[in-house]
Amino acid sequence: MESVGLSGYLIVGAVLFVCGVICMATKRNGIGILMGVELVLNGANLNFVAFSQHTHLGLDGQIASLFVIVLAAAEAAVALAIALNFYNNHLTIDVDRAADLKG
Amino acid sequence: MSPDIYIETGTTLKWLLTTAWLLPLAGFLIEVFGGYWSGRKSRAAAYLAVGCIATGFVCSLIALLTWIDAANLNVSDIWQNPGAVAAASHEVSEATHADHEHDAHHAGAEHDGDHEHVAPSHSEAEHHGHAVHGNNPLKFAFNGTFYTLAKFGSIQVTLDYYIDGLTVLMFTMVTFIATCIHLFAIGYMSDELTESYEDHQVHLPGGKHFHRPGRFYRFFSFLSLFCFAMLGLVLAGNIFQVFIFWELVGVCSYLLIGFYVERKSASTAANKAFIMNRVGDFGFLIGLMILWTWFGTFQFANTNPDQTGQQGLFQMVRTDTGEIETEGEGLNRVAYMQSLSGQRLMGNDGQARRIPYWLLVVAGLGIFAGCVGKSAQFPLQTWLPDAMEGPTPVSALVHSATMVAAGVYLAGRFFPMFTPEVLLVIAYVGAITAFIGATIALVVTDIKQVLAYSTISQLGYMMLAIGVGGWLAGLFHLITHAFFKSLMFLCSGSVIHGCHHEQEMTKMGGLYKKMPITCWTMWIGVVAISGLAIPITLPYLGAIAFSGFHSKDAIIASSLSFSTLNPTHSLLFFIPLITAGITAFYMHRMWFMTFFGKPKDHHVHEHAHESPWVMCGPLLALSFFAAFCAVGGESGPLAKLLLTSEPTHVAGGLQAAGNIGLNLPSHHDIHECHGQAGVMALLAALMGAVIAYLFYCKQAVDPALVKARFESAHRFLKSKWQFDEIYDAMFTRPVHVVAKWCTGFDREALDRFLHSCASLAVGIAQWDRKFDEAVVDRIVNVLGEVTFAAGRTLKGVQTGRLRQYVMFIAAAVVCLFVVLFLFLPR
Amino acid sequence: MEPFALLSLIIFLPTLGAIGLTVFDKKAEESMRMFALAITAATFGLTLFLLGQFDIAQGGMQLQVNIPWVPTWNINYQLGVDGISMPLVLLTSLISMLGMMASWSIKEKVRGYLILFLLLETGMLGVFMSLDFFLFYVFWEVMLLPMYFLIGVWGGPRREYAAIKFFLYTLAGSVLMLIAMLMLYFGSGESTLTGGQNIFDLLKLGEIAKAGEFSSGTQVVAFILLFIGFAIKLPAFPFHTWLPDAHVEAPTPISMILAGVLLKMGGYGIIRIAMPICPYGAQYAAYALVALGVFSIIYGAFAAMAQTDFKRLVAYSSVSHMGYVLIGMAVWKINEATGATVNPNHWQMGMAGAMFQMLGHGISSAGMFFMVGVLYDRVHHRDLNKFGGIMQKMPFYSGLAVVIFFAGLGLPGLCGFIGEVFVVLSTWNFSPLLAVIAASGVILTAGYILWTIQRVYLGPEYKGPHPEDLTPINGRETAIALVLVVFAVLMGVFPYQMGLKMMTPSIENLTQSMSTGYETVHEAGSEIISMSQP
Repeated sequence: MESVGLSGYLIVGAVLFVCGVICMATKRNGIGILMGVELVLNGANLNFVAFSQHTHLGLDGQIASLFVIVLAAAEAAVALAIALNFYNNHLTIDVDRAADLKG
Repeated sequence: MSPDIYIETGTTLKWLLTTAWLLPLAGFLIEVFGGYWSGRKSRAAAYLAVGCIATGFVCSLIALLTWIDAANLNVSDIWQNPGAVAAASHEVSEATHADHEHDAHHAGAEHDGDHEHVAPSHSEAEHHGHAVHGNNPLKFAFNGTFYTLAKFGSIQVTLDYYIDGLTVLMFTMVTFIATCIHLFAIGYMSDELTESYEDHQVHLPGGKHFHRPGRFYRFFSFLSLFCFAMLGLVLAGNIFQVFIFWELVGVCSYLLIGFYVERKSASTAANKAFIMNRVGDFGFLIGLMILWTWFGTFQFANTNPDQTGQQGLFQMVRTDTGEIETEGEGLNRVAYMQSLSGQRLMGNDGQARRIPYWLLVVAGLGIFAGCVGKSAQFPLQTWLPDAMEGPTPVSALVHSATMVAAGVYLAGRFFPMFTPEVLLVIAYVGAITAFIGATIALVVTDIKQVLAYSTISQLGYMMLAIGVGGWLAGLFHLITHAFFKSLMFLCSGSVIHGCHHEQEMTKMGGLYKKMPITCWTMWIGVVAISGLAIPITLPYLGAIAFSGFHSKDAIIASSLSFSTLNPTHSLLFFIPLITAGITAFYMHRMWFMTFFGKPKDHHVHEHAHESPWVMCGPLLALSFFAAFCAVGGESGPLAKLLLTSEPTHVAGGLQAAGNIGLNLPSHHDIHECHGQAGVMALLAALMGAVIAYLFYCKQAVDPALVKARFESAHRFLKSKWQFDEIYDAMFTRPVHVVAKWCTGFDREALDRFLHSCASLAVGIAQWDRKFDEAVVDRIVNVLGEVTFAAGRTLKGVQTGRLRQYVMFIAAAVVCLFVVLFLFLPR
Repeated sequence: MEPFALLSLIIFLPTLGAIGLTVFDKKAEESMRMFALAITAATFGLTLFLLGQFDIAQGGMQLQVNIPWVPTWNINYQLGVDGISMPLVLLTSLISMLGMMASWSIKEKVRGYLILFLLLETGMLGVFMSLDFFLFYVFWEVMLLPMYFLIGVWGGPRREYAAIKFFLYTLAGSVLMLIAMLMLYFGSGESTLTGGQNIFDLLKLGEIAKAGEFSSGTQVVAFILLFIGFAIKLPAFPFHTWLPDAHVEAPTPISMILAGVLLKMGGYGIIRIAMPICPYGAQYAAYALVALGVFSIIYGAFAAMAQTDFKRLVAYSSVSHMGYVLIGMAVWKINEATGATVNPNHWQMGMAGAMFQMLGHGISSAGMFFMVGVLYDRVHHRDLNKFGGIMQKMPFYSGLAVVIFFAGLGLPGLCGFIGEVFVVLSTWNFSPLLAVIAASGVILTAGYILWTIQRVYLGPEYKGPHPEDLTPINGRETAIALVLVVFAVLMGVFPYQMGLKMMTPSIENLTQSMSTGYETVHEAGSEIISMSQP
């Protein structure tokens, strides 16, 4: 079987990343945005792993992706807690309603 | 011969005269302070003043006797070497004899030529005597120092005394006349002995007369101060000291003229007198500056027979023969200074010390300018008539006998310093003054004014005499004039007192019965000043005449001989001759108008009365001296006494070595024309007197007609030759204008400049503030504002919408990448 | 007594008195006045004691004190007196005492007045005794401030204007003096005599000048700066316009001090600092100085004649009289070729005349201002045209006043005469033309003084307001006037004993040192010229 090659991984990673970004930018639902974040992180993870496989980085990339997965879990937990709190306060999770940071 | 006698006699004279000099000062201090705190009715001040001056007179008299004694017997040989004594004494007696005969002859209108051989021997012997004892142009004198005023290296300013025959004589004359006048003033000023003196000449706005406490004591204290100053002037041993006392008599005169301080006319006259004297003193000061700078001493002469110490001015400027040793021509001409030993004086640099000749002339003119001011000579004569505002005793003492004569005294004293040019100026000034004074005296009607103008005229005579080399005649007339003029002033005072302060002669007349003593004593004065005489001579007494005849005769003779020797200056003979006639006319006019004719004002006439004895006594005493002080004429005791102090070159007569060829007459020359001059003067005087008699006593001619005939001339004379108006226009008003300019300059230029500086500074400050506000502050503010505005604008970006933020991040990352790819080098 | 203690006590006793005044109760004005008077009297007594210690036959600086003050900059607390400063110290303490006696007319803010008065006295005495240029400058400024307040607070209606004018004028002078001081300070470092040190020591600076180690250019510039600084104080035309205003507005005692002492500082500064340190500059400017003095005499006399304010008239008479001071100091004639002084004795006479004129004017002008003040205290105006007849109402006062005015006129036998006539006599040697013009001042002086006497004292009756207040002078006023009159007479009759004897040796020293200094610089200059010529 012919090897997929680095660029294939990178393309997939990029697509994932862009999808995540678009998801973040377009979704008004807070949960949806969290999903977009997961996509972005995973796109990055894919790149790390791909680079660790195809270049001289060795295991560093894989360790980095593990870190990311752990962080993503933690982040999701915190974000979900925020979303819940937000919902408790505003009875919605529409992020456009959360304009408290407006200068 | 021995300096011991010199010192002994000199010390005696010094102490006598110093006592006479300082007593009035002590009197002044006691009177002025004691009088202020004592009652107004006390005569104590007068008694004290009289006591002081009378004691001074006694001292002066003793000094005079000492002097006569010394000059004739002992002292004459101090200055001469033993060999010359016999010759000198012989010569003196011979000359005396000759003089007697001269006098006798010229009085008889004759002259005998066979005395000619005597006079030359006179001067020859004198010159011989001087040649023996070095450079001493003065015969007998004592000098010394009281104390030092200042000392700078080799030059010093001191208070000295200088005593010769002239000093002693002046002392006696001044103290005697002053004593008489003090006594007279006790009577004259007695209405001041009150707590409330009413001054009729001062009108208050309410129409009332002015009342004030009497000032008897003040009058006498001022008189005492004056006596002190006057005697100090005479005693002074250097020209600087003369200047000091010159100013002091000036201020005393100021105080006495302005005695009635509440009268505006009096205080103005006092100011005028002082300021015009200061004009003269300005010249005096210039003279002093030149003398001080070039000679380095003020001393008259060093007469000590030891010939130690510094030589005085007289010795420096003239050689033992009385010449000024000069060299060069025109402005380059220099005069060499002489030392005591009769050689040229050497300076510190080994060069002979010398002075530009023209500076010597200027110095002489300067000193003479002082004399012009003090003696009221042309062109500064106008203060003296105004000075008659003072009480009459003041006029008698200060403004006729003593202070105004001080100018003549100084001209006589300083005679050796005068170059021929200066002498000529003196002569002309004297002649002009004599004429002006006499002409104005013709028309004035105030009795004191007549006397004032006559004083001016007579002082002019004296100056003229000195100017033409008649040193003796000038000073002779000074003494005789002092007696008869103070006599006449006191008589006029007596008249004024008797007529209750009426001075206008047009309101008098017919007073001779009411005031016989005054009338006849005044007659003596009038005859004396007119120079009338009976052309008969008595053995040893000369002509039968009063003092004025002798002295005026001497002056006319001097000027005649001068104009004979210098025919270009013959005016100097004719003016005094004419003036002599005018003098006789106006003096008799005054006398006739006052005492004879019909009473013109009955109110005045009825209240007129003879004065008390305290006033008449002095009149009699003075009239005795006015009549007889010059007895014997130029060979009489008075003239002989004066001769002991005559500067040598005068007696010699010389071809004066100036830039102008002048011949000064010697005694001999003067004697030669004495007879001729005497006749002319006598005729002129007689004519004047007779015309006055016809006009004012016989009323043969109506003076009013004459007045109308010569209307314009009369008006010109009445306005005193317009001098006051001219001076007012020429000096007084311009001075005030310049004064205004000066303050205007201060205000308009200097202060305005300062103020504009200040305004400029304030303007700059304001501009500076504006700059601060408009520029510096603005920059800072704008910076802040811009920052603030930028923040406000950017605020909009922060919407708080997370999705937007994400978009921005993404877009920014893309942009970053694009930029990196575009610009980063690969 | 040690010189240090004596001189310091004389200077600072008034300051101590000023401090002592603060403990008095505010209401006890009379006792404060008496206390202040006692202080000034004690100071006068101390100066008399100083005179006793002083050897008048000696020309050099005596009773010297020299203590380092700021050693880094070579500033010393250096004091001393010689024949030039000694008479002025005596005059200062005398006039201060008399001024204090005249201060009873001050009714408001008495304590402040007395304190400032005493501080002023400290400043004045310090100026006359300090021998260190820096110390001199400090005292000069110390004296300025109290004067400003004394005029500005206790003065007449235009007091602020007058005070500021006075202050600014004097300050302008001080600045010029400061520049010159620094020039000389840094110039002195180049001299061999100081070993490379910069100094403020006036005596040392004089020695440097005597040795000719200040260049001609430095001397000329420094002299002109110093001269303008001092001429403002003197005051000479055209720097005089502060004087009439200051005098008119100042209260009587302050006018006395101002005329009697402060004006002398200008003259003293020239004679103590400007001339000995810059002899070349002095000679360079001599003709201008004399001409300025002559012009001041004539100008002041004319201006005085046109005044209608009594005090203004006296103020202008001061301008006129101080002109003689300027002339007398500068009549220094030299031989153009050799640089040697011609007739040094005449120059000494001029200088002595100038010094004596300062003393005489100190007495007579203080007296004149006092006499005006006596009248002003009674009738509260000074308009000459509204006076007259004072002689009738106040005869004793008028008698004394006339004597004082005659002293101002320069009558022989009174203090004004000797100074004026000596100056004038010595001027012919320098320039006959200027001498003649200066001498003509005697006519103008007589004119305005006599006219004033006529308008104020003579005449039948007083024409102005408040005639009922013209009461005879009281004992205190009589005492002041009598002291002044007695001094005027004594100085006029015995000038040698009353001052000239003391001054002459110092003046001889001064003139000799200046002549040497000038000749050295002159020779150096002519050598350069001769070298430059082949």
